[in-house]
Amino acid sequence: MQAIDAVVFGDNQFFGINHMSQERAQQLAEQFFDIGNIFSVYRLALDAGIRAIMLNSNDRAAEICEHFRSRASQYPHLAWYPSIPYPHKFANLISEAGLLGALNAILFKDSSALAGLGAMTQGGLALLSRDAMQLMRMLVDVEMRMFQGLDVRAVFLQNVVTDLLLGLGLRDFFEGYCEHVRRKYHALPGLITQNLPRLRTALIEWGIGEVVICTSINKIGYLMSPDLAAYQQALAANDPRRYQVMAMSTLASGAIAAPEAYAFVNALNVQSVVFGASSRRHIEETVGLIRPSGALA
Amino acid sequence: MPSKLRVAIIGVGRMGITHYSILKAHPGVEVTAIAEPTPMINSFLDKYLAVRTYKDYGKLLEKEQLDALVVCTPPALNHQVLQAAAQAGVHVFVEKPGTLSAAAALELAARFEARGLVNQVGYVNRFNDVFMAARQLIGAGVLGEVIRFRTEMYSRTIIREEEGGSWRSARDSGGGAVYEMASHCLDLVNFLFGRPAAVAGTALSRVFSRSVEDIVSSTLCYDSGLTGTLYVNWSDESYRKPTNRIEVFGKRGKLLADQYGLKVYLGEANAQHGLRAGWNSRYITDVFSSVPFFVRGIEFTAQLHHFVDCIAAGGASRSRCTLRDAADTLTVIEDLFRDHAHTSREAH
Repeated sequence: MQAIDAVVFGDNQFFGINHMSQERAQQLAEQFFDIGNIFSVYRLALDAGIRAIMLNSNDRAAEICEHFRSRASQYPHLAWYPSIPYPHKFANLISEAGLLGALNAILFKDSSALAGLGAMTQGGLALLSRDAMQLMRMLVDVEMRMFQGLDVRAVFLQNVVTDLLLGLGLRDFFEGYCEHVRRKYHALPGLITQNLPRLRTALIEWGIGEVVICTSINKIGYLMSPDLAAYQQALAANDPRRYQVMAMSTLASGAIAAPEAYAFVNALNVQSVVFGASSRRHIEETVGLIRPSGALA
Repeated sequence: MPSKLRVAIIGVGRMGITHYSILKAHPGVEVTAIAEPTPMINSFLDKYLAVRTYKDYGKLLEKEQLDALVVCTPPALNHQVLQAAAQAGVHVFVEKPGTLSAAAALELAARFEARGLVNQVGYVNRFNDVFMAARQLIGAGVLGEVIRFRTEMYSRTIIREEEGGSWRSARDSGGGAVYEMASHCLDLVNFLFGRPAAVAGTALSRVFSRSVEDIVSSTLCYDSGLTGTLYVNWSDESYRKPTNRIEVFGKRGKLLADQYGLKVYLGEANAQHGLRAGWNSRYITDVFSSVPFFVRGIEFTAQLHHFVDCIAAGGASRSRCTLRDAADTLTVIEDLFRDHAHTSREAH
């Protein structure tokens, strides 16, 4: 399995996402309303030596991808780690239009991925939807379209989807997703989860390996189910040649100071850390602190 | 009795599938059957999960040996499903608002109680760690006598002109911002302060929906003199995800809380609760409880595990959110609709 980057620059700060404070989220959303400010922060990250970017396939991501694609010569070579889908879009569509309506909107109406087909009839969609694997691959392809032409290293499934499927024990989907990502995108399948021990156990049982698992890892055990001790055990037992682990939420939404947070994470069998920050000082400080002892590269 | 609790899920939409995932990950539960009329979902579950699928819940209840039922059907159907569940003698977890009238909720509560069956309604705020901490502080009198509160909920659920067709677009079937969202605020208020005695000045506005309200506001009045205001807007695009917020003002200080954190301002320090004079912040990271499996939020797992625990306790422990609690919220909802109808008549 190809080694993933030890430090990956995330995107929550750009999209008004702050798990702790709506107010802070709103400030950030305002600051990054002008997409030029997003590119300025990426520049700071690249100046600090970062060469890997995780980006969720949300409304603004297409523009970001286009920027880096069309100005490739102005930037160093970058490794991309997309995460899909943008869950809120799907959830809101389901509220408005029901499951079939949401699928129709995403696959046919709102997306030019399958341009020319237009909205599908209920009947046609229902027929298509009989083949859930084909439907899953189409949904992945719609989300992945914006990343075309970028050097994609791993494609992550968002935790709300991963964990829903994990609870249901849908082995076929994990197999199908991983295979599709490998074949079509020549990338490592990635799974974001807030249940690392359970996911790892399930993947081992199902014989699915060479997967990147991205998961919350912080010393207070926040967003880590079932608990911190189970995570520590799972990580200690993990073979990074089977499952590379990327830590996220390392600061627990700001509850832990960076030096303390990374001293904890660095000591674990973790191969990579994804973090988000928007000031030069925070980016440089964080890059200086992240030294995952389990890094393969 | 078999070692695992045998559970069926009626209605596998957005909430049904979430509950399914949480329950399937529970070591003490086996989800043995589902009932869902949508052929696509039905055939999907049939193909990929080891579960017996039915189009019709009546058939399911007739054929299956069950201990408990999780009901996530459109709210207008809940009454008949719950009646059948009570008759079949199974414990029940039903999504909020439970039923569409207080009378129906009370009638059902009596049926389940008479047979010693656990009944729980999915008001998830009662399982949120921050709101539980807020309740503890208010209950302990940290704020002194409470005079006023504001309860609010915002989301970007309906942000385009409605195309219609789903149960969500009609009040008769349980759609609209009152049943779907204000119910969360009202349940939280009932959980914190008990049920208000009266409501006044209720205003319902449409933004994008054709026949249901998108914005709700009202004043909630208590016999004690406590007064609160309610404001709910599910067409507010500025919110990325649903947000519940409460502000409580008392003689000794005030408390602000949402699902992610709370702030307390006190005139004088309260050593017993570790609170300083002035502002004090408690974040979800300070108060969160671990759950064995996380899918949509700690509170979603916590409420279903609580349901399973109540069943295991053999009826000895009452659920934290029963059909009687749901009836309290429905009583206020009925007051809101009545008050609004009255106010609009006066205005015209």
